[in-house]
Amino acid sequence: MLRIDGISKKFRGRDALLPLTLEVKRGEIFGLLGHNGAGKSTTFGILLGQVRPDAGEVWIGDVSVQRARELALRRVGAIFETPAFYDYLSGWTNLRIFSAYTSPVPEARLREVVELVRLGKRIHDPVRVYSHGMRQRLALAQALLPGPELILLDEPSEGLDPEGIEEMRKLILRLREEHGLTVLLSSHLLSEVEQLCDRVAILNQGQLVFSGAWRESDRVRMRFEVDDVVVAAGVLRRHGAMTGDDGVVEFPAGADVSEVVRDLVHSGVRVHAAERIRISLEDFYLGRIGR
Amino acid sequence: MSLFLLQLRGELLKLFARKRTYIGFGAFLLVEIVLLGLLRLPRVQHSVSRILERTGYDAAQYLSGLTLALMILIWTMVLLGALYLSLVAGDLVSKEVEDGTMRMILSRPVSRLRILMQKALASFLYTATLAVFICVTALGLGLIQGGAGGLFVFAPLEGVFALYDFWPGLGRYLLAQPFLIGSLFTISAMGLFFSCLNAKPAAATILTLSILLIDSILKNIPYFESIRGWFLSAHMASWVNVFQPRIPWGQIAEDYAVLLAIDATFLVLGWFAFERRDFKS
Repeated sequence: MLRIDGISKKFRGRDALLPLTLEVKRGEIFGLLGHNGAGKSTTFGILLGQVRPDAGEVWIGDVSVQRARELALRRVGAIFETPAFYDYLSGWTNLRIFSAYTSPVPEARLREVVELVRLGKRIHDPVRVYSHGMRQRLALAQALLPGPELILLDEPSEGLDPEGIEEMRKLILRLREEHGLTVLLSSHLLSEVEQLCDRVAILNQGQLVFSGAWRESDRVRMRFEVDDVVVAAGVLRRHGAMTGDDGVVEFPAGADVSEVVRDLVHSGVRVHAAERIRISLEDFYLGRIGR
Repeated sequence: MSLFLLQLRGELLKLFARKRTYIGFGAFLLVEIVLLGLLRLPRVQHSVSRILERTGYDAAQYLSGLTLALMILIWTMVLLGALYLSLVAGDLVSKEVEDGTMRMILSRPVSRLRILMQKALASFLYTATLAVFICVTALGLGLIQGGAGGLFVFAPLEGVFALYDFWPGLGRYLLAQPFLIGSLFTISAMGLFFSCLNAKPAAATILTLSILLIDSILKNIPYFESIRGWFLSAHMASWVNVFQPRIPWGQIAEDYAVLLAIDATFLVLGWFAFERRDFKS
């Protein structure tokens, strides 16, 4: 659906983005993570043709954004960290103005999207009286109007209260399930990304440091309760495990834990408990950016 | 409705739905009323009468609503026209960039050239609306105060001195409007060009006003009389030539060809700057 092919960008001689290659599959929710200034906004800018890359190209479907931007963005919707509107106009008029940049939208479709984001009652109020959550929902509505196949969400939950965050998450999942949308999402709320995304990419100072299904890619962490620690340590070493000071045993990615337990038992070790320790995306992220 | 017209309607909505627009129009009306009050002062009337009587004309006949309307029109444009149009045009792109709405637009499948073309067109329509508003309100106020009568035109810098009866005078007054719009659009085109640069909206307005002011000052310095044609404001003042007893169409055509070329240059340069910019939060 979306292919980023070696894009890079410098601003005033400083590297904002080092060559980045990524692929987002159709129907996937893909997370783009990184600290402030890591290159996420630059990446979004290049994806939408708002920033010209120094090298590389972005493909949406089979169309290059850099060569045929208008065609490539025909089925793309986007929202930004701080969605901006014409505050003195109503939400409805804003939607009409923005949608006119893609194609004429029938009134029925406008109403449908307004209902989907639950702005029905307030859509004719001026945007200046909207709360942050309502602005975010209006931003989502304008992104959904062209009937996109791909949606780019730059910090969609930024500034929302917990209910708003949950609502946004459910809406994103619903859009994927009901409309088959492909989503590229950037967020600082790692718990949100953890719940939403199938795969993630992590940028650190403009450089891609990880891309893929983070849960599968990391080392397997276990905690064992055994009667003979010395024998057990020998068995675990044979499986390439390393034991930390906190008693957590780390195996290389893809290790088969059931095989390890069987070997322990065959070696005469009594295994009272074997617990897999799942790390959070936050731990994974911090580990990848070296903190 | 075609997509282009839909987008243009959006541009016009953005311009005309702002409170500022109506405050601006209200300010123009206020300036017109103040000018009208000043022009009705006996001392001011005496000065105008003296010029007329010196040339053997009846001051009472030509100190009419039409004469007042033209005076109000000229002075309102000088006092507020440039300021207001550079303010509006200077905001067209830069304010949207500053507010973040330009990024929202640029996430849509629309070319930057088209965005700029619509902004230029909306700005032209806005300029025309403003000129027509001032023309109509000045005429209305003038006629209410001065009644129908002949038109007296005295523009020494442009070398115009003319007298008309009411209907020919009204004809010339109306004929001048499209040319006035053409002149004013140069201010909008310049404002739009500066608005496309990577600068704050205020900077675009200040740059436009500075250039117009410096240009006007230099044009009026007697030493530069021989190079008067180099100054923008000299061409912009050409609309007053419509009031010459024999309209110098050749001169007017030349002036507006120059203005058209300048407008086109501003728009092309603006597009070039806009096209090359990166838009990022």
